[in-house]
Amino acid sequence: MKIGIPRALGYYLYYPFWHGFFNELGIEIVLSGKTNKKIVSDGSALVVSETCLPVKVYVGHVLELLNNGVDVIYSPSIQSIAPKVYNCSKLRGLPDLIRNVIRRNFLLIEPTFDKSVPKQGLQQFLYETVAPLGITNKKKIDLASKAGWECMNNYWLMTRAGVKAEIALQNIINGKVDLTLKTNELPINAAVISHGYNLYDEHISMKVIKKLEGLGVNSLTADNLNLAQMTKGIETLNTNLYWANEAEITGAAGYYMTDNAVDGLITITAFGCGPDSLMIERITRFARRLNKPILNLTIDEHTGEAGFVTRLEAFTDMLYRKKRTILVETLNRQIYNGDEKNIQLVQEVEYLNAKA
Amino acid sequence: MSDKRTKKRIVSIPHMGNIGIPVSAMLKTMGANVYLPPANNRDTLTLGTRHSAETVCLPYKMNLGNYIHALEAGANVLLMFQAPGTCRLGNYASMAESILRELGYDFEMVVFDMYKGKLVEISKKFSIATGNTSIARTLFGIRLGFAKFDALDEIERKLFYLRPRELEQGRAERVYKAGRSAIDAATTVSEVKRAVSHTLKKFDVIPIDKVTDRLKVYLTGEFFVLLDPFTNMNIEKELGKLGVEVERQIMLSDWTNGALLPKWLQKVESHRDRSARVAGKYMTRAIGGECLESIGDAVYAARTDIDGVIHLGPFNCNPEIVSQCILPNISKNENIPIISFMMDEQTGKTGIVTRLEAFVDLLYRKRRKKLSTNLCTNIC
Repeated sequence: MKIGIPRALGYYLYYPFWHGFFNELGIEIVLSGKTNKKIVSDGSALVVSETCLPVKVYVGHVLELLNNGVDVIYSPSIQSIAPKVYNCSKLRGLPDLIRNVIRRNFLLIEPTFDKSVPKQGLQQFLYETVAPLGITNKKKIDLASKAGWECMNNYWLMTRAGVKAEIALQNIINGKVDLTLKTNELPINAAVISHGYNLYDEHISMKVIKKLEGLGVNSLTADNLNLAQMTKGIETLNTNLYWANEAEITGAAGYYMTDNAVDGLITITAFGCGPDSLMIERITRFARRLNKPILNLTIDEHTGEAGFVTRLEAFTDMLYRKKRTILVETLNRQIYNGDEKNIQLVQEVEYLNAKA
Repeated sequence: MSDKRTKKRIVSIPHMGNIGIPVSAMLKTMGANVYLPPANNRDTLTLGTRHSAETVCLPYKMNLGNYIHALEAGANVLLMFQAPGTCRLGNYASMAESILRELGYDFEMVVFDMYKGKLVEISKKFSIATGNTSIARTLFGIRLGFAKFDALDEIERKLFYLRPRELEQGRAERVYKAGRSAIDAATTVSEVKRAVSHTLKKFDVIPIDKVTDRLKVYLTGEFFVLLDPFTNMNIEKELGKLGVEVERQIMLSDWTNGALLPKWLQKVESHRDRSARVAGKYMTRAIGGECLESIGDAVYAARTDIDGVIHLGPFNCNPEIVSQCILPNISKNENIPIISFMMDEQTGKTGIVTRLEAFVDLLYRKRRKKLSTNLCTNIC
């Protein structure tokens, strides 16, 4: 039995769980390839142009799976993750969108996860997931759910210890837990705030994490935080949980904004993202208030890489300069606090500077 | 607290079509001073756009513009309705509040959160906004408000019928406007009823073309754009000029009844229930906003004798983008012409009118074709 999972949207959030769950049930997962130009243009051709980039990419991935002969597509609708905490409309209606724009003959597995409806939980959702595949043994499904959670928790264990999401995911697929960090000390720490499906899709984010590494910036993401930290972040920004994926944006930004070890924030938003338009607005306003450097980047299928790099470089330069200024100031203060000779020296230098 | 009591409280609400008339009647009956900002215009939009994020949708920008107008004129209590829509709307009140505070205004924001219950929440929030404690007055106010909602809808429906048929263009519109101000001036329920019957009588004497059959289109989509004539470029009037009868799927009272009245008081099948029943395989779940309604209306239109569907929404409205993606499929499968208009601050009226004319031409041709095939079969 095969099930096709598009390598987009939910994949970057829940794949460890699906991996454990479907493998335990003996269902083979077929993933689509990594996002490329063809996938983006194929997907964009089928939906209206205003649709956000990640959804276009998702449609493209479904098409690729179908072209490769996979005729069972798993496309869940995550309506709400807690009572009255809803997801974005486009993600909620994803299976309906797919069914209407791709007019081909295939089996669409479209369970709905809705915590706002009473008696609708993960268990119900999972029964709904595998029922079209002919698996109805509830005990077996519950066991598989446990296996799924094991993978998910291991994944979070790794990412929260600081392992990069990509490596952690690879470890999960290889069936191991590895907490060793590649320690290369970088001078600048920047929080990269974005949805997982934008950030870890190398075509969408144009390898921003690697680019930043090349510029000497260590990037911190929402995956490196636990739920308590993100909840604290949401409180910092004086708001409450409204969107299903608010924690990874507002929560992470709020937490990193008050963290002195973080030098600046970079937000990456898909053009036309509904939830982000408000969340990023709030973050930007707070960043201004707290005097934290922030760079807002908007991406769509026409974003040029060169412009992207230029802005990243300029921002990093600014972070370097800011850090240097702070360092020099503290050094000066230390010298002033030291013995008289140093004070004389500093005064001399200042005098000379003034003369010049 | 003492400051609040001594200061004169002036309540204001943002515009959404005619919503100002019934809501201000409710507030006035409860003893509040009401200030209504000037009807939505370019200035409102410019103000709102200046102070909001780029990709936020049009209703928010309009509301913000209204708020700023009201605050400039001295209002200090702002009202906001949050109905169970679960799109971005639920976030708007807090966002607008923080932006207005940053701009340096001092005010109180009263949010009608319909998640927390309906009638109880309304009366509670009204008493906070107006300082009114008498239950009898609250109930009377709400009753008067709802009477006005229904009255406005009644004369507007009649206007939709008359506008494409009247022989002297613009006459029905004038009667409607007079009727609207009469309803606005009414202070009791019986006065409202009298104003309605008076207006209906005036409507009845307007000479109309009874011979030719008119095209009939459904107007569906996002509720703010549907209800607000400035935002939708007065599309109903333009269609009336082209001789097309409009059936707007969301009337003011439909929305308020759905949003404000408890379920057990709603007797007829609600718009949403009908949409969910009809939408079938095209849309199986409610995803927030009016997506399900738009889809349901399009399918419903195809199964009745409606000639076409015009779908409206603000640019970048998340639910409407989904319906915009799905509508072509319905158009193809159910054989019904559908056109989508997404409004934003850059939209020009001429472009909309041109597209409307082309769409109406297409509808005429389709109907003629149908008639001629019918004739052929009859003759044969």
